Amino acid sequence: MPLSREFKVGIFILLCGLLIFSALIYLAIGKGVFEKMHVFTLSSKSGDGFTEGMPVVFSGFNIGKVHDLELSDTGIVLIKIKIPDRHVKWIRSDSSFVLYRPLIGAARIVINTPHLNSPPLDKNKISDVSTINDINDAITKVEPVLEKLSQITDHVELLTRNLSSPKGDFHRTIENTRLLTSSLASKKSIVEMMLGDEESTKSIQESLKKIKSISTNIDSLVQKVNQMADMTNDQLFGSEGTFLHVNLILKDISSKLKKLDQSVDHINRILSEASDGAKDIRNLRSDIDDAVRSIDNAVQKIDALLGPQKKPEITTP
Amino acid sequence: MRNSVPFLLFFLFFIACASPSQIPAWKNNATAYLEDYKIGFLTGKEGPNEPHFAKARRELSSGNDLHLLSVAYLTKYALHAASLENFETSEFARLYRLEPTPAHMAYCHLLKGNFSAVEPTLLPPQYQGFLRAALSGDVKIALREISSIHDPLSRLIACGIWTRYFPSDENLLQMAIQTASAQGWRRPLLAYLEKLQIHYTTHGNQAQAQAVGLRLEILKK
Repeated sequence: MPLSREFKVGIFILLCGLLIFSALIYLAIGKGVFEKMHVFTLSSKSGDGFTEGMPVVFSGFNIGKVHDLELSDTGIVLIKIKIPDRHVKWIRSDSSFVLYRPLIGAARIVINTPHLNSPPLDKNKISDVSTINDINDAITKVEPVLEKLSQITDHVELLTRNLSSPKGDFHRTIENTRLLTSSLASKKSIVEMMLGDEESTKSIQESLKKIKSISTNIDSLVQKVNQMADMTNDQLFGSEGTFLHVNLILKDISSKLKKLDQSVDHINRILSEASDGAKDIRNLRSDIDDAVRSIDNAVQKIDALLGPQKKPEITTP
Repeated sequence: MRNSVPFLLFFLFFIACASPSQIPAWKNNATAYLEDYKIGFLTGKEGPNEPHFAKARRELSSGNDLHLLSVAYLTKYALHAASLENFETSEFARLYRLEPTPAHMAYCHLLKGNFSAVEPTLLPPQYQGFLRAALSGDVKIALREISSIHDPLSRLIACGIWTRYFPSDENLLQMAIQTASAQGWRRPLLAYLEKLQIHYTTHGNQAQAQAVGLRLEILKK
């Protein structure tokens, strides 16, 4: 029986509706809409940093969120957190709750459970929330640095004051330098400046005069030595000098050495030829040895072919 | 089964042909060099440096066999004794200290004329009769014993020992000359001829001494 068009459309719409509804239900289940929620109450002296919808974290995972914030009659802030049924196992009687406010990022409540075997947390129990504040920590760390900076600025100020003061060390040093340069500019000798005593200066001057007379004596001595050197020069380098004879002898030796050079060349040539000859003889010897060895091998092979090898015996004759 | 019979026969033939052990080359070479040395020495062709003996010695040294090395040295001394030449036994003494063999020492004592120190049973059998003659000092017994030695070299060695340590005897010298000349051993031949010439001269037989002298002159040319 053929189905009518209206009936088919009706079935299509119904199926579509069912599909959409089931998808929505699926999503709702996935989002935990039908899940049982557990509410725990926490307390804090200050509500600073707490906001509704703030995440509740266990081991880095979101397991719930802050549901409500209330102020109790005693002035304590009550924080109600909502935890789905599947995550309630992480919250135990010995769990601690910490408000963590990082320097960068959103604040969150962190749950630490040291023993997962402990009994579950009673819902009526109000646990305290401690606070970890990175911003405050950073400020406390920066504070001593700032203090030191202020000390440094104090010291710099002290230095500049000392420099600028007319009775300060710097000014006194400048004054001393000025005095020194002025005394240098005056006609007093350096020795006097150094010793600060005229008598000592005089004695030094006398000593210097004596040194002058000694130097004149040395001059005359040097002149005499020069004369002696001249005489020696004549003896050595004069027309009848020793060096002339030595020179002649050296020339003679040189000419003889030249002749000897030729002889040495000849000897070298003869030696190299002899060396080549010796090499040839060595090669010849090696060739002969090879030939003898090959003949010996051949004889041994012939021996082996002819019959069994006789065992050699070495005995006294 | 019938096919396997020729194969079995071939296998047995192959096994029969196989040598029990390979003779080491050094031993072969040493034997050959020592034989060359003996011939070269006796015929007077071995040079003063005794190259064949040196080669034999080197080969035996390669084999690390001090026993055979001692035999080589004793052979050398025996050849010198056979040719009436002096020899020095220090090398043998060094070897004997390292590897003492009583038979070698007995042979060395015989060569050196220490007959009373020789244990007869340790000597090679051909010399045992000669040792008895040497201990008795009787030249007739010596002649008989030496002539009974079959090996010419051993006979010549015995002649050499007797001639060296006992008064010379014409018959013994003649026997040595005959042995050497029969083998063509020039070196001992000339030595015994010279000894015979001296013998004739000392016994007043000048004519024969002269004849031997002339013979020597001709042979030495």
